[in-house]
This record gives sequence, structure tokens and C-alpha cells, in this order.
Amino acid sequence: MRKKLLQGIKIFSIIFLGQWILSSCQSCSNTNSSGEQDDVVESAEKKVDPKLMEDFNKSKLIFYSLPSPLETAMLIKRSGARFNEEILNPISNVTNYNTNLKMALNLGIYSADLSYTGLFDQTQSTIQYMGCAKKMAEGLSIIDAIDETTISKLQDNMNNKDIVMEIISETFMSSNAYLKENDRPAISVMVLVGGWVEGLYLASELTNGSMENNKRLLDKIIYQKLSLITMLNLMESYSENEDIQYLQGKMNELKSIFEQVKIVNTSKVESETDTENKVTTIKAESETYISKEVFEALIKKVAEIRTEFIS
Amino acid sequence: MKNRKKNLYLVIWICLICLLPVNSGAQCVSFAKNVAKIKLGEFVHDGNYNATILGTGETAELYKTFFAGETYRVTVSKIETLPNIHFRLMDNDNNILFDNKKHDYVDVWDFTVESTQMLVLKIKVLEDPNNQQSITKGCVAVLFGIKK
Repeated sequence: MRKKLLQGIKIFSIIFLGQWILSSCQSCSNTNSSGEQDDVVESAEKKVDPKLMEDFNKSKLIFYSLPSPLETAMLIKRSGARFNEEILNPISNVTNYNTNLKMALNLGIYSADLSYTGLFDQTQSTIQYMGCAKKMAEGLSIIDAIDETTISKLQDNMNNKDIVMEIISETFMSSNAYLKENDRPAISVMVLVGGWVEGLYLASELTNGSMENNKRLLDKIIYQKLSLITMLNLMESYSENEDIQYLQGKMNELKSIFEQVKIVNTSKVESETDTENKVTTIKAESETYISKEVFEALIKKVAEIRTEFIS
Repeated sequence: MKNRKKNLYLVIWICLICLLPVNSGAQCVSFAKNVAKIKLGEFVHDGNYNATILGTGETAELYKTFFAGETYRVTVSKIETLPNIHFRLMDNDNNILFDNKKHDYVDVWDFTVESTQMLVLKIKVLEDPNNQQSITKGCVAVLFGIKK
């Protein structure tokens, strides 16, 4: 009896082991790029039904790419804004977040703060904010996105901004990818929303409440109207999720203010391609308008939503 | 002694089975990290992950705001066995601003924008003329880099 049981387990094990080896090869990371590529190929017999083929060809996948925390921090820095530690989500708040929604939002928020501190060479704060992001990722059971090695690597390379940016980018992508590929895309969206709101909050606070202080920064804030549309479209795909419904409510409050901001293309969008340098320049003239009242209402609403997210 | 050996054998097999779920979720992450991201060169990857499995003939769209004054490097990478990918950058009115078909289906290109625009990147995995019998599927990753 025992012998039969052992044999049964062995046969089962061999089948599963075979599958395991195949699936491991699909996800393993190695430096052999052609190996990587071969691993993820799968082939299926073509169906003879032309209608089915037509439907297959019609299938369309849509990605909505929001400005990442790193891109937003770069935009803030390039607009000439300064560093202000007081506007960041305090490190001490990290123990306050216990729900998936709060941990996801604050993973995005701490990622934005991490990007901002990293780009402004705030060595100690950057390491501390990486620690906060790590804690949020662990709380969400995101495996291996941020580990002790990441923090050591960051500590060892704090004087090399290129490597710091690389580490920040890598950790954000790893968290994002882990959630998407482990059937938790709604959580991934919450992380993106948190990061986007924090970026908008940092930018709006850095204006010091004035539309005149930094026109380039004001411009970046105004154009977040376009990203807000992208974000609302992104959330629409997960609108059955209660947490996403809550976020849709918040973003619609913001939308009602952004609707009073005007962005008009005053010329046709045209492009000029430089084949030799492999670069295309997109040319268009546009005008924006925001009244003082709308600007103040926007800053107030962003601060209100962000306070709710971090509390 | 024989029983102990069998038990050890049993434990090893069970441990191996337990490891099974660890790698079953990941699909295109390692491809995006180890193949696509490298194509961004000296540009900083923005950290967003846009990758999926597509088959020959399938299409996808990506919506992104391109900010004024920035230079973006876009890579539309695919596994080697997939046919070329045709991608076009379009504005809101469906005007084609760039078409990689005119550039031998190049998979990396830079874009500079003079005023902030929401643009759409439309991609299509081409049909494979050498393989009419089966549909090849594999990872496709669209990554954005920002000039330092």
C-alpha cells in the first residue's frame, strides 16, 4: 500500500516538476537575452474558422501610462523648484497604514517622496523613504521588489545620481509588475493614484500658493488635467472594486475643478523626423488658462485629498 | 535504512512541488527588465511597466502625456520569435506623427515635444508570412525613458 502511494506521488511529482521547470524558465532573470526571449514563446494551432481569426485580430489591449513618481519628480526639479522636506509624508506615519488601500496609496506616495528626495540629493531622507516604500510593499506582500540588498545598494551609491534614479525606477517597476502579473491590477492602480496625487501635491505646494512664483511649475500642474483623464480611464476598468470606486469619487472631485482649466491647441499638431539621429520633434502651439480662484480651489482640493490618503 | 531513504526521497519531491507556485505568476517581467529596458540606453526608465503577451495580428494602444521640453525614448520590444511590430504615434485627431514602418520597423525611437500633448501609441504585431499554420505569441513591452 505504502509502496503504491509512493509510486503515485512520484508520478505526480514528475509531472509537476516538469511543469515547474518550464514555468521557472519563463520567469527566470538571466543575462542571456535570446534565452529570455525563447522562454516566453508559446505557440497555438491556428483555428480554421476565419470569423474567429477576425475576432482575434480585432482584440485590442489598452494601456494608460500615467506620469510615474520619478517622471513627476524630474518635472518638478526641471521647473526650478526647490527642495522642501516639510511637505513630504512624515516617515513616522509609516506604521499607520493597515488596509490594502492605504498601503497601496502610500506605497505610491512614499515612492514619489523617495523620487523627490533622491533627485534633490537628500541622502539620508532618500534611504529613509526607501525604507518606508519597502514597508508598504511588504505589507502588500509584494515579494522581492524592495529588499535589504536594494537599500544597501542605495546606501553604497548615494553619490551617484544615475544609479540612485536607476534603483528608484527599478523598485517602482518591480512593485508595479508584481501586482499586475499576480492578478492584483486594482492594487497596482491604487499605487499609481497615490504616486500621482503626491506628485501633484508636491508641485502645488511648491508654488507657495502663487501663480506668479514659478510659471514652469504652474504649467506642469495645469497639464496634469490630461493625466487625470488618463487616470480616470484607467480606473474605469476596475470600477467593480470598492476601493477604486472611492478613488474614482475623489478623482472626479478633482476633475470638476480641472474642467475649469482651459488647454487649447492653437495650431495643428505636426511632426518633424530626423532619421539620422532617430528623433521626432512634435510641434504644436497651445494655450492654457487658469483663474486665480480655480488655482486656489485646485490646491485646496489636492491638499484635502492627499491629507485623507496619508491619514 | 531503506525506509529512511524512501522517506527522504518523498520529502524532497514534496518540497519541489511546494516550490511550484513561486514562479508561476511572472510572465513578462524578466523580459521587460532584461531585454526591453536595456534598449533605453542612457535614458532613465520612468518606472512604469507596460508589458503583455500578444500574438501575431494583435493590436494594443497606449495613452501617455508627453510633457513640453522633455525628450522621451520609446522602445516597443518583442521576443525574437514574434514578427516585427508596427507602431505609430498619433495625436487626438488620429494624425500620424511617427510611423516605424517608414524606418524598417525600428523598435527604439526618441520623441521631443514642444508643447505638452496627450498622444497615443498604436502597436500591431505583424502577421508572419513564413508561418501561416500557427499563431506565435510572446511578450511585448512598451517602455519609456526620459532624457537625463
